[in-house]
Amino acid sequence: MTTKTGPPTVHTAQAAVVGAGPAGLAAALELARGGLDVLLLDEQPEPGGQYYRRPGPEVLRTAGDHRPEGANLISRVRESGVRLLTGHTVWGVDDDRRTLLAVDPDGTPVQVRADWIVAATGAYERSVPFPGWQLPGVVTPGLAQHMSAEGVRLGRRTVVAGSGPFLLPVACALLERGVRVVAVAEAGRPYAPGVAALGALRFPSRLVELASYFARLTRHGVRVHQDTVVAEAHGGDHVESATLVRFSDPGRVVARHEVDVLCVGYGFRPQSDLPQLFGCSMERDPVTGDTVPRLTPVGRSSVPHVYVVGEAAGVAGAPTAVARGRAAALDILAGCGRVPDHRTRRAAAVRMASLTRFTRLTSALYPSPADLVTALTRELPGHTLVCRCECVTADTLREAASAPGGSDVPAIKGDTRAGMGLCQARECGPALEALRTGGAGTGTVPARVPLRPLPVTAVLGFSDSSREDS
Amino acid sequence: MADAAPRVPVTLDGRRVLVRSGTSVAAALLEQGHWNFRVNRVSGQGRGPYCGMGVCLECEVTVNERTHVRACLERVCEGMRIGTGTAEEEGT
Repeated sequence: MTTKTGPPTVHTAQAAVVGAGPAGLAAALELARGGLDVLLLDEQPEPGGQYYRRPGPEVLRTAGDHRPEGANLISRVRESGVRLLTGHTVWGVDDDRRTLLAVDPDGTPVQVRADWIVAATGAYERSVPFPGWQLPGVVTPGLAQHMSAEGVRLGRRTVVAGSGPFLLPVACALLERGVRVVAVAEAGRPYAPGVAALGALRFPSRLVELASYFARLTRHGVRVHQDTVVAEAHGGDHVESATLVRFSDPGRVVARHEVDVLCVGYGFRPQSDLPQLFGCSMERDPVTGDTVPRLTPVGRSSVPHVYVVGEAAGVAGAPTAVARGRAAALDILAGCGRVPDHRTRRAAAVRMASLTRFTRLTSALYPSPADLVTALTRELPGHTLVCRCECVTADTLREAASAPGGSDVPAIKGDTRAGMGLCQARECGPALEALRTGGAGTGTVPARVPLRPLPVTAVLGFSDSSREDS
Repeated sequence: MADAAPRVPVTLDGRRVLVRSGTSVAAALLEQGHWNFRVNRVSGQGRGPYCGMGVCLECEVTVNERTHVRACLERVCEGMRIGTGTAEEEGT
């Protein structure tokens, strides 16, 4: 990367919020309203995160704005006096645990020192490898949704597969752009009336939303297969077809469809590497298998000035993300003696509790991600590229996992280079964790610095300044 | 609908093309039917955008001689020079 060299740009603020999605925007707005000097950083060119991600105004005019409430929240943040640093990638934390290390769009190193840190780093899609997932044309449902929102017709024929409620709106977005959705494949059996669904009746608006997606899919003749997963994507230089099998009986082929785009995703995982770098105490969520920070109900981590909000605190959807952002901000304001109105804090707590109940109910409809990953990984043929960056196969990984040290994820990585490529195990991480043998050792993929590949000058600039400081 | 959008010229692998203004570089390329963004260093095979949110780095391209630009996080602008099909280098 062509970069400027030179000393880092240094910013100071009372509070620094990392991530300008729903949670980060809500937290920054509340903190600024409470009178704090707030810096909000995001790596994208515009605020909004993934949920409120916005293409340029020209695209919004012609392709439409599918989430206008995001524009509203963003404009309130802009008017609130929050200092917004877009195009800034946070890649590390200094030893003082109060300084964020970042890089600006030109590659110039940036340091942000703050009394309070709010990590609102969001989530990314949970991938489970399968043969052919590295072929161009195989994408996550999130990519399909973003490209559809940008007005792109991604292909002619597609299958949308994986697990979770997100698959339905993605299939609808593709239809709207003129892509023929041949089938939706859901690993679980959530769409049958059953005991688990009854609790959701207390939240009729969400049921109506789900039902409206269903109606649109039915109208377009889209078949929704349940207990069905993608076993393999076929093709030479580009995906040409996909084989669907029963999740509960992987030997049984459900269908083979010709496609030029294949969307596969198993829900979302919290992006919790920044809290790990801060030294926040972490734990494994037994249902999702994800590594999440240990938090108080208002998002305070074991490092008292570091809060984790939104999806980074555990995936629960945008309304919960906003509520968590607000709750953390109110707690920080209380912590610096700017005690918010008691009723405001109480209302925030009640809203959080209600949303948490809804998240539990929704998750109960779909299979546990931890079980899904374990079951799917067990079935992988030996030639599957589990690590798509370093091209490490399932055979190689099973061999490493059965060798001494095979219960330790870092040891398996060291032996095979799996998870050591550009994405740093963000795509193959859950599968790597599932492939290790039980026993002593680290069962999870630890966060590594830098969190993103960096121009060398960004790091050099930082170490130069450290010398000057000391 | 999408056709009503203003278009701007960019250079894609040395060829001049018109793309919609205001989209990501990834969207502009996919709209051209261009799916091979880079070459995997180990297998030598072509790769295309996968996650669409800056995590997988499969969509890295060269923009105006800047290498390793994530096409999904970069917006197109008039006269932009976009290069695809290069292998990532060790240690970046």
